Amino acid sequence: MSAGKISSQAMRSLGRYRLRASLMMLGIVVGIASLAVLSSLGEATKRETMQRFKNMIGTFDTIIVRPGGGRTRGMPTLVNVPPTLRFEDAKAIASELPEIKAVAEVQNAFDIDIKYRDRSSSPAVFGVSPNWLALRSEDVADGIFFSAEQNDSLTRVAVLGLDVRNQLFSSEDALGKAIRIADVPFQVIGLLKSRGAGPAGASLDNVVLIPINTASRRLFNRDFLTMLIAQVRNPERSDEATARVTALLRERHHIQPPALDDFTITNPAVTAAQVARAGGTLTKILTGVSVMALLIGGIVIMSLMSVAVSERRKEIGVRRAVGAARSDVVQQFLLEAIFIALAGGIAGVVIGWGGMQLVTRLQQLPPILIWQPFAVAIGLSLAVGMTSGLYPAWKASRVDPIQALRS
Amino acid sequence: MIEAQRISKTFVRGESGSVEALKNVSLRIAPGEFVVVRGASGSGKSTLLDILGCLDPPTRGSYRLDGEDVARYDDKQLSRLRNAKIGFIFQSFNLLPRTTALENVEIPMVYRQGKVDRKKALAALERVGLAARASHFATELSGGEQQRVAVARALINSPALILADEPTGNLDLNSGREVMRLLCDLHTEGHTILLVTHDDAVAAYGSREILLRDGLVVSDEVRAGTPAGGGL
Repeated sequence: MSAGKISSQAMRSLGRYRLRASLMMLGIVVGIASLAVLSSLGEATKRETMQRFKNMIGTFDTIIVRPGGGRTRGMPTLVNVPPTLRFEDAKAIASELPEIKAVAEVQNAFDIDIKYRDRSSSPAVFGVSPNWLALRSEDVADGIFFSAEQNDSLTRVAVLGLDVRNQLFSSEDALGKAIRIADVPFQVIGLLKSRGAGPAGASLDNVVLIPINTASRRLFNRDFLTMLIAQVRNPERSDEATARVTALLRERHHIQPPALDDFTITNPAVTAAQVARAGGTLTKILTGVSVMALLIGGIVIMSLMSVAVSERRKEIGVRRAVGAARSDVVQQFLLEAIFIALAGGIAGVVIGWGGMQLVTRLQQLPPILIWQPFAVAIGLSLAVGMTSGLYPAWKASRVDPIQALRS
Repeated sequence: MIEAQRISKTFVRGESGSVEALKNVSLRIAPGEFVVVRGASGSGKSTLLDILGCLDPPTRGSYRLDGEDVARYDDKQLSRLRNAKIGFIFQSFNLLPRTTALENVEIPMVYRQGKVDRKKALAALERVGLAARASHFATELSGGEQQRVAVARALINSPALILADEPTGNLDLNSGREVMRLLCDLHTEGHTILLVTHDDAVAAYGSREILLRDGLVVSDEVRAGTPAGGGL
């Protein structure tokens, strides 16, 4: 009659056939556990990828302009870019376009020899404009960052990343010390905060920052930029800003259609999202596999339960004789299937949760607390239980009580 | 109580034609009667019991149980009727395996309004002298005990009619006697009982005896003075 009483009968039936019930659960447990692990791992990886991009770029409200048209690969440096992007371009973008809040100029090179007494290191050296830290809303860990005056007067000062500091100074105090960058003497005035790993997993702390004018005239002797980073005023409308920057640079570089741009503009937020999505392909395939496992789990429930119906004909006959309508029998068997799938789902979630903690620890991902995949998993097992219970329940309701009771 | 008029039941047996298990059987049973239906196997007595028990509709004829015209009832209404008005006792006991005596007795209460009343189930077990065995599984009980649990189950919803199908058929003499004694007590208390058997000794307990042969009622006689001792 009432659903409560029928469900209690369903529960008791499952209790009576514990072994069978746990067998029926198995497929669901495996399916749900792997599904939960994979989907939350996929989500975690995605977040981690975005975070690493953010580590590298600083903020997502910027667009990056590099010299050279077409698709450029890897990090631009002074040795691999054409000398087309000028200081004046950066100044023009900053002053003429209202969409742009600030522009940072960059001139960088890799593997530059740096020495402090007998110790050496070969980090990336970045000549950057003094607004660099502010644009990335960062701060130094210790000391100070160089000022606009120091940049204008070509002062030889350097701010060190954590890795460089550790290599050159280990436990010694670095501030105020003199180092040699490609044999040019510089004074250490500040230390950067650690930025962790970039998208490729390499450390972002193996870096030295110096004023860009000093870099241009006293170190590299180059008067073009490897990169400029423009901070847009309204990140929602970065496409518009990109178009404006493109138009301005084409005009300044005297490029007429159909000639292509001699620069490339990328939007880090978009790129990061693409990379994160690409990384999800494997996860998607594996998720498909666990959905298959879940389906098989459903089929297992259906077939074992159909066999059980044949075995339990007498019970069904008794229930019918003492007053169970066909619909009551349907309800009981459906509920049994649902309870099994739900129990399997919950067990799967518990195991999946444990497995996820283990994997994140092994993969050295930050610990994640994502509940959505687990909610979806529970909902899925509910649906599987309902579908797989339909046929056995129908079959049970068709048992003829007269034959069942006399056999 | 029971008013069956010109009931027929035809079973279709594949291509070889059909079998008429009951032919125009008319039957009136008053409240408080203890009716024994006898007949050889194949005489139609089981079919009659199934129809009277609302498990199987007649092919033709009308059937009123306790004033309700059952003919047009659907599955749900019939189930409700069985639950409220009929208590079944079967030859093979038909207790649920891996289930305690008490839980077996409770099952009819699952399918009626209200709660499953454990105290009531215990009282019913007490009534058949098995209160001490309440938590035993069906398989741990002797045949006689199992049948007494089945009697308690048949009684639990206070049915108007108790239908017993060869209740002693699978029991030894002593257990059979105990079960019959129980049924006689219930009769004395006012229950209406219809019992199907082919056993003369069991038939002797009834206050009225109907004999079926080939789907027809061939005799229907009321006995003067119920022999409470019966023939067992």
